[in-house]
Parts: sequence; C-alpha cells; structure tokens
Amino acid sequence: MKRDYSNRKLEKGRLVTGILKPFLEIRELTLLVMIFLIILLMANLNPYFLTYSNFRAISVGMAPTAIIVIGMAILLASGGFDLSVGSVMALSSTVVAMLMLSGYSIPVSVFISILLGAFIGLSNGCLVTAFNINPLIATLGTMSIARGFALVLTEGFSLSSLPASFGWIGKSSIMGLPALVLLMLIMVVIFDLLVRHTRFFRQVYFIGANEKAAMLSGIHVSRVRIIAYILSGALAALAGVLLASRLMSGTPTAGNGIELQVLAAAVIGGASLQGGEGTVLGAFLGVVFVALINNSMTMLAVSIYWQMIVIGTVLVIAVALDMLIRRRKA
Amino acid sequence: MQNNIESLEEPIASSNLLELRGATKSFGSNLVLDNINFELKAGEIHSLVGENGAGKSTCLGLIYGLHQPDSGFVTLNEKTVKIDSPSHAQKLGVGCVFQELSLANSLSVSENIFAGRSPSRYGMVNWKSLNAQAEKLLKQFELDINVTLPVGNLPISTRQLVEIAKALSLNSKILLLDEPTSALTPDEVSTLFTVLKKLTKQGIGIVYVSHHMSEIFKISDRITTLRDGKVISTKRTSDTSQEKVVAEMIGSQSYRELRVAQPISEEILLSVDNLSNSTDFSGITFNIRKGEILGIAGLMGSGRSEIVRTIAGLKQDYAGSIIFKGNPVTFNSLREAMSHGIGFIPEERKTEGLFLQYPLDANFSSANLKNYSKLEILQHRKISSACQQAIDFYQIKTESYKKNAGALSGGNQQKLMLAKWLERQPDLLIIEEPTKGVDVGAKFQIHKELRARAQEGMSVIIISSDFPELISLSNRILVVSDGNLMGELSPEKTSEEQLLQLAVGLKKQSQNENTISEK
Repeated sequence: MKRDYSNRKLEKGRLVTGILKPFLEIRELTLLVMIFLIILLMANLNPYFLTYSNFRAISVGMAPTAIIVIGMAILLASGGFDLSVGSVMALSSTVVAMLMLSGYSIPVSVFISILLGAFIGLSNGCLVTAFNINPLIATLGTMSIARGFALVLTEGFSLSSLPASFGWIGKSSIMGLPALVLLMLIMVVIFDLLVRHTRFFRQVYFIGANEKAAMLSGIHVSRVRIIAYILSGALAALAGVLLASRLMSGTPTAGNGIELQVLAAAVIGGASLQGGEGTVLGAFLGVVFVALINNSMTMLAVSIYWQMIVIGTVLVIAVALDMLIRRRKA
Repeated sequence: MQNNIESLEEPIASSNLLELRGATKSFGSNLVLDNINFELKAGEIHSLVGENGAGKSTCLGLIYGLHQPDSGFVTLNEKTVKIDSPSHAQKLGVGCVFQELSLANSLSVSENIFAGRSPSRYGMVNWKSLNAQAEKLLKQFELDINVTLPVGNLPISTRQLVEIAKALSLNSKILLLDEPTSALTPDEVSTLFTVLKKLTKQGIGIVYVSHHMSEIFKISDRITTLRDGKVISTKRTSDTSQEKVVAEMIGSQSYRELRVAQPISEEILLSVDNLSNSTDFSGITFNIRKGEILGIAGLMGSGRSEIVRTIAGLKQDYAGSIIFKGNPVTFNSLREAMSHGIGFIPEERKTEGLFLQYPLDANFSSANLKNYSKLEILQHRKISSACQQAIDFYQIKTESYKKNAGALSGGNQQKLMLAKWLERQPDLLIIEEPTKGVDVGAKFQIHKELRARAQEGMSVIIISSDFPELISLSNRILVVSDGNLMGELSPEKTSEEQLLQLAVGLKKQSQNENTISEK
C-alpha cells in the first residue's frame, strides 16, 4: 500500500516548505529593504554613521537582545509568551559573577547560570501547561521573582572585578568581527535553520496555529510548549552571561524593560501573539531594524524620548499593514 | 402542502404573530431552505422538526435576524419586516434561546438577565431594583434562587431557565427555543413545560425545536416537518403520530448505494467491555472485527463521540475494559493510541482537524512528521510529493499543495483529513461525521475509499447523524441513545426509520432480537 514518491514532478528550487514561505517573501524581504534604505539615507545624512566603530557599537549593543529574540520568536510561534527574559538576563549576569567571585571556574559558572535560566524557563512552562495559567501572568510572576533574587543576592549593587579571562568573549574580536557578534550571527543562523527544517520545531508551529488540531494529530503539546519555555529561559541566561562578560560586571538592574523591546522586534519581524507564525530570521531582522532606527536618531541628535515614540509607531504600523495585507488575501 | 395549512386556519382563530412566506436561503451553492411557509399564532406552541441539516436552525436564524432570506419574506403581526440583526429582532419582540448557553458565568443572575439594560439612576446601576425585577421574573419559573449569585455557580439546568427568563425579560411576544431540554432532567423538563404553557396563556407564541419526539408531542399545538430544506407537512399534533412524523422526516426515498459484500475476517481487532464513564455513557459493550466497518448511530449529545474518544485515548476517566489486538490497553493520549495503530478523524474539521492558515502539505504531514523526517530533519520534498500524490489520488480540488487548507471547500478539506490519516495506515480508523456538510461527489469518493481500505483489512468505526450513510456503508450498526446502547442492527434489514426511532429513544431493541423484522 506504500505509494511510490520518486517519479513525481515538483516545482524546483523551494528552499522552505509551506508554513514559513510567505514570511520569507513578504516580511523578511520588506525588512531587508527597509534596513538597506535606512543605511542609505543615514550614510548621506551623517558621515559618522557608515563607520566601522558605529557598526561595531550597534551590533555589540544589540547582541544580547538578538539572542533573546531567538527564544521569543519560537515561543511566539508556539502561541506562548515570556516576560521574564529581562529579569532572567539580569539574574544570570549576577549569578555568573558571584560564582566566579567565589572561586568557581569560568565554564562551571557559565554552565550553572545557563542551567538556572533553563530552570526558570521550565517553571514558566509548567505554570502555563500544568496549571493552565495565562502565559502573560505566569511570566509576569517569574519576571518579578527573578529580578527580586538578582537584587537580593547583590543587595542592589553591581559585582565587578571579575577574572580578566572572562572578558574574552565579550571584548575580543576575530578578524575585526567582535566575538560577541560572531556568536550572535552563528546562533541566529543555526536556530533559523533548525526552526525551518526540524521535526521538533515544526510541531511548535502546529501547536501555535491550532492547539486542538495539533493534539488531535498526536503532537505532545505540553512537552513541546515546555521545551520552548526552557529554550527561552536558557537563551536569556546566555545573554546575561555575555552581557556580564562585555561589561565585566554582574548587573542586577540589567535588561529592565528589554522584554517589551524583544517582543516589539519579534512582532515587527513577523511574529504574532496569536501564534503559528514568524521566523527566527524575521525576528532578528526586527531587532536589527529597531537598533538601526535608535542609532540613527541618536546620530541625528533626536531626544531619547522621541525614540520611544518612533519605535512604538513603527510597531503599530507594521502590525496594521500586516492585518491589511491579510484581509485582502482572505 | 398549502392546502394543509389552509385547512388549519379555521380551528386556531387568532391572527398570525409570525409568518415565513416562501422563504428561500442558500449558503454558497448549498440550498438550505427552499420556499418555506411557516406560521405562528399567538398563544401557540409550534414545533419544528427534522433531521440534522434539514434547515431548522436556519429557519430560526431567519426569524432572529442572523440570516436574511434570499427570497420570500418574514412577517410579524402580518407586517412584512426586514430583521437585520438579533438586537433588531429583540426590539421587534422576538426572543431566542439557543442550544449553547450564552450567559456570562462570572456575572450574577440578575445582571445576566438584564445584560446591558440595567435599571439605573444617575448612571449608577440600581441594584435593588435590578434584583427585584429579576426575582419577579424568575418567580414565573417557580425558581427560587439567589439572583446575586454568579451564574457559573448554578447547575446547567437552572442556567437554561435563566436563559429563557433573559429572553422573556425583553417583553418578547415570540419565543424561539432551540433544543431547550437537552441539559434538563425530566423534572426540570416538566417545570419548563408548565412555564411554557403559562406563557402561551399570556398570548406569547413559541417556536419549539427539538429532537425529542415525546416532548414535542407533549408540548406542541402544531408540528411542522422539514426535510432537505423543504416543508413536508404542517399538522395539528392531534392529527398525527410520532411514527408518522419520523417517517416524514426521513422521506420515503431510499438511499442505498451498491453495496460490496465484504469478506469479514473472524479476527477480532477491538473489543470494548462494559465501558462507562460518570457523565456520558454506561455499559457499552461491542467488538469490531478486522476489515469491518462499524457504524454508530446516535443524535448529538447521545454520548456517541465520548465513547469513541475514550477508545482513541482522548478521555481517560472511564470504567470497563478495552482490548485491542488481543491485549488489554489503557491509552493516556491519542499519541499512545496512534502508536498502537489507531487513527482518529474528528468531527469539526475547521477547529479540530485542520490548520486552516497552513498549506495542504503542512496539514497533510501533521500526523506523520516522524515518517517524513530523517534524524529529526524534515524531508520537505518528500512531504510535498506525497501530498501532491494524495491530491491527485483523492482528486482534491486545489491549484497547488501550497494553498492554505482554509481555502478548500468542505468536501476537499474532508478528503485532505482522510488522506492525512490513511497515510499512517492505521489498523483502526475512527471517523466522526465523515461527510458532514460535504457535496455528493466528495461523499461518494470518501465512501469508496473507506470501503476499499476496509477490504484491505483496515477496521473502521463511523459515527454519523446521516443515517442513510450508515446504512449504505456499515457492516453493522450500533445505536446509542442517552449514553446507552439501544441495539445492534444489520444494515440490510434496517430502515432509517428504525434507526431514528432507536436513536431518539422511542423504543429499545429487545435483547435477543438480532434482526428487526422487515415490513
């Protein structure tokens, strides 16, 4: 009864199958064009914009956000949501510093910090699946708890005088490319490919699109959900470690409000709070886009308050345009 | 038909509260109501009966402003009206209670009754007067409940009465009731009927839709039978009988496709012994052989889907035993049942079966990801080519496998679900309503494919409200009513009428009667 699939004629040259294709065509290309236009415009407006040091500053600055957005994009695709990422980042940056200061080796300290982030993710996942708590509320709770622990552990002070070799990943460069940026790019590419091509992440999309149909297709909904939360927590913790390495200090107040920036960037990049949509590449381009706008406005000496207004407007316009396109299609 | 109605004008004197005149309605190419004439007099309870899909709900929808007739018209108090929306219908004095409750569970009883119309003073809700009015209204129902309690704290049956009170609070002259007793106990039903009789004395006209023949005959003054969107008859209750109405609902046309005599192996694939759960069904015992198609007939809410969903591992709380391929099994999830060789196609293709915003190939692969991945990496080309093959084989009408499943017609969506599950080659396929709302061509094809697979040894359990379908497709038919097995029938010797009579709980097949005598 097995059918033979070998001699079928199929359209050639399809990089991605079904689910993710429209986004590559529409959202990601639009963002790429917009990013290119900003660069072109700014290069003419400000001679310092198109310099190595400025691009280095932009890319190093956005690296933690870009790493966190990977987890957020995947969670959003599953229909989930994580507000605790900023606090987890702060907690892991202080925990990694404390561990090193109390004499643990760098790899052990880093490993434990990331494990802690994964554990917070696991808690989020269990709250959402086993206790059926709305992800917004569940992660609002863990956001507060994680931030609280970071502040309690340090009594609110930053921890400095970390071992010099810990600064390697945050400060060194490889052929002119900061190691931090290289790591960010590698992770974005790897996760984007995983999301497009693995069975596990395909299940994430099915759950986000229609949880009931996913369950009725034999997908282990709660397990997949929990793994997505663990991933988000672990990536936020990694971002915290990298931040500590770059600043050479553990900062309990780091990443305040970053969860909303990450969310906005992911949505600009094509994710949807309803789930079932978005890609890692799109979310990453969203982060790049926001970072470029912020940088451009700083270069043009626009007040930081105006930057908030502009980013908010961009977010609303992006989503509104998307809804318009969808309505026309439907 | 017309004569029938006119001959009735004389005994029931008063003027018509409501009329449908030549009402016709189609959804897409699907003609749902065809030239419907219906009338309701003040103080009358007029029942509307028919099989699922006969057009009852659409009729109510026309009167309640949910749909507009394509041609024909609705008159209220002998004046033609165009009812734009439910709120417009309410203003015109039409109240409606649907099968699904529409109460806000966290709000109090009184707030629910007067939702959005709370008596107020200076913009503040006047709670005293609100509660007093609600209590007064509920007195009519002999309901003595604390109206400040959240509705969610009340038993379902009380909520149903609150819902009716809500409809009446609008000073409705016409009340539409869609299966109002489905959640009520016999005692509550008789309370409800007392209330309804009282209401008719106040000159209120009631359109009553129900599956329960005995209730219909107890409460109605007149009965209108619908079949395939047409009025078959309107008769006074005293002039007809339950058997006659059931016969009219089904029609005399016999729908029996050419049946293939299927060689059934004696090997038993699944046997279910004394399966019960606390709420939906009890004492269910049956077995299914390899290559057999077993039909389960029952109306909505009869426990039929709970039974098969228990077998598929979707419901865990049950007593009794399930033996599959010779071993006792307890499935904790559908996943587990699937790994043993069970497939399950749910009833609601849009909400339970498909990922509407995803393309055909993604939908096709959703239950088969393991087969289409190597070392966890998805084989996109293999998925697409298998999907293309399925599209050709099942003649799914689409431009490409890249189109979204939501863009397919109902029949093609159903074929896509069938393709997805047959691809897994299950030993037992459970299908709920395999051809609900599906065009004739798709229906034929789905039936053909199921027969062919059964011939190859796959066992099939089919739940359907479409009794002709069950008769033409099954090797045996079990009838379920109210959570109990009413009998086991052989389709060759069974008429739709007999099935329906068992399904509505009219009579129970005696234990040792294996075949029902032919007329």
